[in-house]
Amino acid sequence: MQMKRSSRTALLFLIPFLVVIFLFSLFIYYSVSSYSENYLFKLLEARANKVARENIDAKSLSKNLLMDNEATEKLPHEKDFFIPINDKLDIKAEAKKVGISQRFFSDAVKNGSAEFVTKQYLYKGIRYKSKAGDFIVITAAENYFEINQAKNLINTLLFAMGIASLILLYIAFYFSKNIFKPISAITEKVKEISSENLHLRLNENNTNDELNQLTMTFNNMLDRIETSFETQNNFISNASHELRTPLTAIIGETDVVLSKPRQAEDYIESLKIILQEAEKLDNKTKALLFLAQTGFNGKVQKFDKVRIDQLLWDVKENLESMNSKNKIYLDMELLPENPMKLKVNGNTQLLHLAFSNIISNGCKYSDFNTVTVSIGASDDFVYIVINDSGIGIPEDEIQYIYDPFFRASNTKNYEGYGIGLPLTRNILRMHNGKIFVNSVQEQGTTVQITIPTWKPEAV
Amino acid sequence: MRKTILIPTDFTVNSLNVLKSILVNNQGMQTFDILLVHGISLSDSIRDLLFYSKAKQIESLTNPEFEEACEVIKNKFDSQISSLRIDLFTGYNLSAFENYLEGNKVEQIFTTDNKSVLSNKNSFDLSRFIDKCSVQVIKIDSGFNTIIPEKGKIAEVFMNQISMG
Repeated sequence: MQMKRSSRTALLFLIPFLVVIFLFSLFIYYSVSSYSENYLFKLLEARANKVARENIDAKSLSKNLLMDNEATEKLPHEKDFFIPINDKLDIKAEAKKVGISQRFFSDAVKNGSAEFVTKQYLYKGIRYKSKAGDFIVITAAENYFEINQAKNLINTLLFAMGIASLILLYIAFYFSKNIFKPISAITEKVKEISSENLHLRLNENNTNDELNQLTMTFNNMLDRIETSFETQNNFISNASHELRTPLTAIIGETDVVLSKPRQAEDYIESLKIILQEAEKLDNKTKALLFLAQTGFNGKVQKFDKVRIDQLLWDVKENLESMNSKNKIYLDMELLPENPMKLKVNGNTQLLHLAFSNIISNGCKYSDFNTVTVSIGASDDFVYIVINDSGIGIPEDEIQYIYDPFFRASNTKNYEGYGIGLPLTRNILRMHNGKIFVNSVQEQGTTVQITIPTWKPEAV
Repeated sequence: MRKTILIPTDFTVNSLNVLKSILVNNQGMQTFDILLVHGISLSDSIRDLLFYSKAKQIESLTNPEFEEACEVIKNKFDSQISSLRIDLFTGYNLSAFENYLEGNKVEQIFTTDNKSVLSNKNSFDLSRFIDKCSVQVIKIDSGFNTIIPEKGKIAEVFMNQISMG
């Protein structure tokens, strides 16, 4: 079974550390043991010199000094050997007697000093010159470190390694869990989002780390999904409603006419009405067809340079032809003199839909009072302010206006689906734009839309 | 023709409406060098003065909405504005103000009867100097000040329609 990423990270973290600690312990063991060996050898050398002086020189000079021999301090388990170097020297036999290798003797004779280590003893040999001739003086002492301290040191190191790896294990799991916590949080949150609550978004923070980028990417994707999802919904519900109205009229008229025999003029009258309604139906179907062809057929939306003022004139014309009661005033007072400043990078159909939504809402909820649309541009943004004197939005409900299918409590007398504003916001999000809605109930609503200006390098 | 005009400002979008109405009502081919001036007292501390920077001070007083609104107006009246500058006046008395006007070659001052909003505690109202100075002062009727919901937002500059008094 595949390990979870968090435990894999913990292991990856743990293994190098354990290797380092192991190497570290090895180093400590060998440096301590070699230090103590060196120290002992130095002691042995000093001892060898001393005992040689006492035993060999004293023997030849005066017997008195020999008496002090017993008083001098001996190393633990010290053994001393004095081997004269002369023709009779039998290295093989001597080596056997002392219990060390022959090499040791040849080294001692040749270099003046030699060292030998066994498990129990350390041997130090020196070549000693005296008046009675040259000697090899060998001093052996208990391998103190090996016997008394090595085991203790190994135990201590093993114990420390055990404790350290336990602590490391804990730290590794703690860190890996914390590192992956935000990712788990994102997973949890994404699981919550389904087609029922597409408006949910992941929490973004202001840092610019990889996780936040991931979150932002997710949110952007959700924006796009939600927009297309709601566009479909909006389209279908609007379309079916729009198509049903003339159909209902035709069916009603026919029913009434057929209920009893009538005069020829009545039939003509009814047929005229039916023809009228059928023509309306035809117009609407054509319009829908046009919308379907131009807009949301699942293809990639093309972003292009769009001139906002042109777009708004189109929207105005369109809305006024759809309902002759719509009164829209385009306020060009702050229109910039440089038309380049009015260009934004966007999709004409989408922006058209967005502005139509806002402006037609303004018309609808102000009982067809004039809606003022002002355009202005700074160097970086295009501002569109849409102001109506309609029923407004109650103050405590303004936070819900972007929830799909939410309709304010004072909109009972108006038709609508509660889709327009969220859809508009999503379209603006796709254009990196912003929307602010300010409203005072019974006085009117002001919608301020900000879209970044088209920049040559942004393409 | 080029003319330098001075408009006191308090860094609110509302205060830009004076500028807007001047430019809207400017029919001739006149171009303006505009000075948006804010009155503020300098600190007494020598340390503050040592590290004083006018640009930094302006940056701390202004806000994005105000800057954006400035740009909107600048873009709209591009051909009428030859320059637009935000400046601070830090003098204490009338003669300092006169000097300032002379130094910047200010020909006209436009004000409203609106009370300016002084957000900073060191700011002061320039009107006490403007009322007494020797340069031509033109008061612009701000009309009735309606309470609109978009206070402080950039939308304000689109909404207020002031007529030349």
